[in-house]
Amino acid sequence: MMRKRMKLDTERITKSKLFWAIVAELLILLVCLIIRPDFFSISYQPSSGMLYGSLIDILNRSSEITIIAMGMMLVIATAGTDLSVGSLVAVSGALALRLMRWDLDLYPTPGDWSITPLYLVIAASLGACLLMGSFNGLLVSRWNMQPIIATLILMVAGRGIAQVITGGKQMTTMFSPFKFIAHGSFLYLPMPVIITAAVILVIYLSTRRTAFGLFIESVGVNRSASRVSGLNARRIIMTVYMISGFLAGISGLIYSSRIISNDSNNAGQGYEMDAILAVVIGGGNMAGGKFNIAGTVMGSLIIRTIITFVYYFGVAAEAIMVFKAMIIAVVIILQSEPIRRMLEKRSRMRRSIQGGALHE
Amino acid sequence: MKKILVLILALTMMVGVASAELKVAFSQIGQESDWRTANTDDVKKAIVDAGWELIYDDAQQKQENQVKALRNFITQGVDYIVFTAIVTTGWDDVLAEVKEAEIPLILIDRLPETSFGNDDWYTCYFGGDFPFEGYKAGMWVKNYFESIGHKGDINIVRLSGTTGSDPQIGRTKGFDEVVAANPNMKIVYDQTGNFTRAEGQAVMEAALKAVPKIDVLWAENDDMALGAIEAIKAAGKVPGKDIIIIGCDAVKAAFEAIVAGEMNATSECTPLMGARVVEVIKGLEAGQTFDKVVHPVEYVYDMNGGIVIDDDGNVSLKAADHINERLY
Repeated sequence: MMRKRMKLDTERITKSKLFWAIVAELLILLVCLIIRPDFFSISYQPSSGMLYGSLIDILNRSSEITIIAMGMMLVIATAGTDLSVGSLVAVSGALALRLMRWDLDLYPTPGDWSITPLYLVIAASLGACLLMGSFNGLLVSRWNMQPIIATLILMVAGRGIAQVITGGKQMTTMFSPFKFIAHGSFLYLPMPVIITAAVILVIYLSTRRTAFGLFIESVGVNRSASRVSGLNARRIIMTVYMISGFLAGISGLIYSSRIISNDSNNAGQGYEMDAILAVVIGGGNMAGGKFNIAGTVMGSLIIRTIITFVYYFGVAAEAIMVFKAMIIAVVIILQSEPIRRMLEKRSRMRRSIQGGALHE
Repeated sequence: MKKILVLILALTMMVGVASAELKVAFSQIGQESDWRTANTDDVKKAIVDAGWELIYDDAQQKQENQVKALRNFITQGVDYIVFTAIVTTGWDDVLAEVKEAEIPLILIDRLPETSFGNDDWYTCYFGGDFPFEGYKAGMWVKNYFESIGHKGDINIVRLSGTTGSDPQIGRTKGFDEVVAANPNMKIVYDQTGNFTRAEGQAVMEAALKAVPKIDVLWAENDDMALGAIEAIKAAGKVPGKDIIIIGCDAVKAAFEAIVAGEMNATSECTPLMGARVVEVIKGLEAGQTFDKVVHPVEYVYDMNGGIVIDDDGNVSLKAADHINERLY
């Protein structure tokens, strides 16, 4: 009896998509360990008051994508996509820098000051992104626009909006409270890691500890059916796009705080694709209907591990794309239904042979 | 009603002709960076200030838009075309049309390649000498370390630009020349930062962990250097002292960093090309001829000045003396 349950558990584990994502991550790290064990060295850096090492970098720099992927995950679970998140990152940063330094002509040199108090800067950036998220939500939920088309509008327009906000300029700030968002530390960890952990926790509590997550999945499986069974599908779809926009805003603040500047052209470039990848690696299904928080976080970590690996070992950066494609292809193929069924069949056969019951 | 309209139209056209104003068309590739914005603003302003009519087209990073714009310029019968090519090749057809229309073509910033086999198709070219910018940066590093009496190897981290872009190829080549001539200069880490602050920072963060000893950071544009400064601070090192930082472009933010002591030098690449455009057009109107290819005079700016930057003995300038002239 006991034996049987254990067997069942291992089967369930190998079936789960999270398992394969973790295997992929461990494999990359194993390669790092073989090439250069000092990749794993972590030390305490007294000047910044936090831990210092490549693994910390992976955690730290995956923040932007992880945060966006949390929103993307919910959007994808409703059978949607949000392509505008990358541009919203640029808007959020542009607005923050603009508010901190709107009288640029008077004080052209960046100093440790801001015209607007920090809480207002943050509230305005996040508010603007929330607003743009609700615009996406409105198009998809009210006017039944296809999500890719609807969010394409802000994806294209967003960078233009960011350019207009800053007058086409790249501004720099030395305002230390703003710098703290990305360069500060808490509990020996970089602030972005803490912020990301908080975001994951909030998403977990609000979706998996309430019925909200189930509602999202049910809308993704069949919108009409969930409406008929009493769910307000429109409001749920509206909400996930708002969450996605809001989280893109947080990501944008981290990005601009890292470079203590705005970059309307490059900020968040390609983030929508990385976020979708993270969700898919984590077991999300583009057709909607399910999401996996831990898997998505793992997906984002895999993407960042590849990038850090390439930088650390001095591989030509162009290879990042190839590595990404390879690892993702392998992970996704392993997760696909037919392959999994094939593997399962094999292991079942082997087991029955071992058990001496070939003709079962 | 229609007749009146036609009459008005004819009259306005006559007025237009009567003013005999020069029509100067400018096809710009788009607005991808601060440098480009400064470049556009300067050229536009110079043409308008000269009292000529400016026809401006922003191609939004698309070659087909630029081809369309050039054809429109021909149809509109402009007197001069100022042109920055987004990519190097693929211009043969439209440039042949420009030549056929006998409109003088002034190239700025980028020199496209054609299969015409001669250089009759353009009037003149004005733009940065990328290899020389890299060479000057290399010379600055060499001579700076000589001036502080440094003995032994100089370990250099290079953050290169977008792979395959004109400035990346040129600046890399120029810097490599100096490295080849000085065996103590060693490039210990070489990675692209795609000309952006964020990637410059992430790459430097990795370099600081992968390479045990770094003396110099050479970034092929200022943005990457500015991003890397934060990574160096996070590693507990002092930018500008523990690691000598030299960038390229000489934008205002780099001047600010140099004056603040967090960056050491920057090799200039000027976007200010308006004055030259106006000079050429005025000269052509007066019947002068010009050299086909001319490069702007560019300097290296650093903390104290006085470091030799080329084979002719020219020295770097002190950034603090020039920071207020910087507009971009």
